[in-house]
Amino acid sequence: MKTMKTMKNYERKRRVEGFLLKKTKLDFMARVATLTAAATLSTSAWADGPITLWYQRGGNPEQQRILQKDLVEPFNAAHPTTPLTLDVLAGGSGDKKIRMAVISGKGPDIVMTPGPSTTLALVQSDHLLPLDDYIKKYNLDKRILSPVLRTGEYKGHNYALPRTFETMVLYYNKTLFDKNGWAPPKTMAELNIIAEALLAKNITPFSVGNGDWRAANEWHVSVVLNHYAGPENIFKALKGEIPWTDPVFAQAIDVLKNWYQKGWFGKNYFSLTGDQQALLLAKGEAGMAPNGTFSFDNMVAAFKQTGQELGVAPFPTLRDGLPYPIYAIGTGSTMSINKDSANPDAAAAFLDYLYSDAFYDRISKDWPGDWNLPLTSIDEAKLSKNVSPIFAATFTAFSKAVAQGNYGYTTWTFWPPATEDYLIHGIEQVWLGQISTTDYLGKMQEIFAKEMSEGKVPPPAAR
Amino acid sequence: MAAPRRFGALPRWITHLADSALPFLLPALAINVAIILIPGLLTIAMAFFEWDGASTPAFVGLDNFRTIFTDPVFFSALFNNIKWTVIFLTIPIAMGLGAGSLLLVARRGRTFFQVVYFLPVIIATVVVARVWQGMIYNPESGLVGWFKFYGITLADPLTQPPTALYAVASVDLWHWWGFLAVIFFAAYRQVDSAQIEAAVIDGASFFQLMRYVLIPAIRPTITLMIIMTIIWSFLAFDFVYVLTQGGPAYASEVLSTLSYRYAFYNYTMGPAAAVALVISFFGLIATFFYVRIQQREGVR
Repeated sequence: MKTMKTMKNYERKRRVEGFLLKKTKLDFMARVATLTAAATLSTSAWADGPITLWYQRGGNPEQQRILQKDLVEPFNAAHPTTPLTLDVLAGGSGDKKIRMAVISGKGPDIVMTPGPSTTLALVQSDHLLPLDDYIKKYNLDKRILSPVLRTGEYKGHNYALPRTFETMVLYYNKTLFDKNGWAPPKTMAELNIIAEALLAKNITPFSVGNGDWRAANEWHVSVVLNHYAGPENIFKALKGEIPWTDPVFAQAIDVLKNWYQKGWFGKNYFSLTGDQQALLLAKGEAGMAPNGTFSFDNMVAAFKQTGQELGVAPFPTLRDGLPYPIYAIGTGSTMSINKDSANPDAAAAFLDYLYSDAFYDRISKDWPGDWNLPLTSIDEAKLSKNVSPIFAATFTAFSKAVAQGNYGYTTWTFWPPATEDYLIHGIEQVWLGQISTTDYLGKMQEIFAKEMSEGKVPPPAAR
Repeated sequence: MAAPRRFGALPRWITHLADSALPFLLPALAINVAIILIPGLLTIAMAFFEWDGASTPAFVGLDNFRTIFTDPVFFSALFNNIKWTVIFLTIPIAMGLGAGSLLLVARRGRTFFQVVYFLPVIIATVVVARVWQGMIYNPESGLVGWFKFYGITLADPLTQPPTALYAVASVDLWHWWGFLAVIFFAAYRQVDSAQIEAAVIDGASFFQLMRYVLIPAIRPTITLMIIMTIIWSFLAFDFVYVLTQGGPAYASEVLSTLSYRYAFYNYTMGPAAAVALVISFFGLIATFFYVRIQQREGVR
């Protein structure tokens, strides 16, 4: 017996069914439509269409404007069918966003990473395209400095082109040095004399700090490892031939420990930001600053504020028998092509533009500090047109030394990730006297050996 | 006569469900399952695998737990979380109870003070952290440096291992206590005004009023805030990450920053998930006690 209620429900049910049926019909037609549209669009996207670059290092509005003007617009003018779309990611975690996107099969066509150890993971999981053919096609092996180019090699193929090459140098306050009749130190003995003299005058010898970039610790570890232990020993250790507990490394870390504990780093190492470090040096409250070429802009800006003169010199050799000067190579970032890119040829054409003299000419005028491309054509005379003579001189000396084989290894380019992380945090424990140098290097060797057995160590290019 | 069956030939238990509240719960439940339950289960699974985020995961059993339990930093981080919990269970709750009762007593300016107390809560944590780092704690550009002009040289508390954790906790306290003040004030307002008036008429002082009338009356709120504080203390991340990243020399490392380092600096997801499970374990204990207390109060 059907009641009024059940009649109503029955009608309701029929209405719902009718609606659903209509909906499914619509759905089906919509699906067919989108598929056809996608098919027609995608066939044309294989040859043309925008390519994307996610700029991993972040940039303030002025820097973004420079990128548009120097990087994007000239390329797009020359390649109107495959324009570049630039996405500037907020600094700090841009590399993680790119990594996640690439691993999930999406991500930009041109993959920018903060260095070879990040690239290695992407290479091993087969997400990057080997670039050997494009390198040959565009003669990039002749245009990029060979030792730096080889940092992107893995198992015989090249997967990453170096975007910036950088090194550790010694910035110093030339005004202060001239006043005291000092020349920039070339040996450990000379460095000791100057540092002691500075301490006596109550001036901090090294203006350093990790207030805004905790990883600044590894700059100093890189410096003592390269300039005391020497690149040959580092090369052996990275290949696993000698352990990190070798006496020469222990002595190198002891040098660093003494610098901190003697007060060469001042009292505020853990608070000072990059800007503050530059300003202290520019004011003459510190005498020297071991820092990277990536901080050039900072230093120049600070010295402009105080009107004193900036000096740059190669870092002194800390042990007899090592050549001078040594420049530890850092590949501050790399460019690769995403394996899932719909348009690898266009991406390669972009890389060709990136390593051209035309682009370098433009960018070194506007933003040299971050775009030190390791080009073989770096020429002091040409460069001085666009940048300060001191920058031109430093960079030309750096490239010449690298071309001649006088190069070392920075930790952020050549160390595997967990070892690098321990290197950064553990050294603080050494400085603060919580663990001994032996314990520090012992733990580092343990972590390194584990990562080596897991294939996570980016292989260093043969010397 | 049995209720007529509706919706054609569907079995009765489905029709019962359809009649119940389930259709109303379904949307929130679906979101919960997709965004919370499934990733949660995946994290539990990941704690038993070795994965670098890019290649295929490999099963390693309890290795990840062995890794974290043999890492001395894990235990100092855990101890830091416990210290953090103790700090946040006492200071902000006491301040919140006090300020809440003052707001209750004051008639004029009540809204103004509520806004003032609550303002730090709504400022983005990164902004708060940067302000404290650059304008207060910094020995060059901050308040700490300003004292140099008066001959007092103070060290930046963020950079000394003994004080680093407390310096970070102070910033979070400043950011957080206003929230508790507003919550407790709202709870006080629910207290029957007749009780308060009766106490005042009986000659109760302010402290006696607090002790015998107000605080017992809002006990459920206080209990909830205590449990939430315990859970949130084990989750503490943002201020530590922005201010010190766990340094110097791991002095301010907490479990969540440790997990983050394992995952995104060392690219070892297994130990990161294992640490996350430890964090959840403490949260679970707190939740268990909360449910027990609630049940007991329900019986009464």
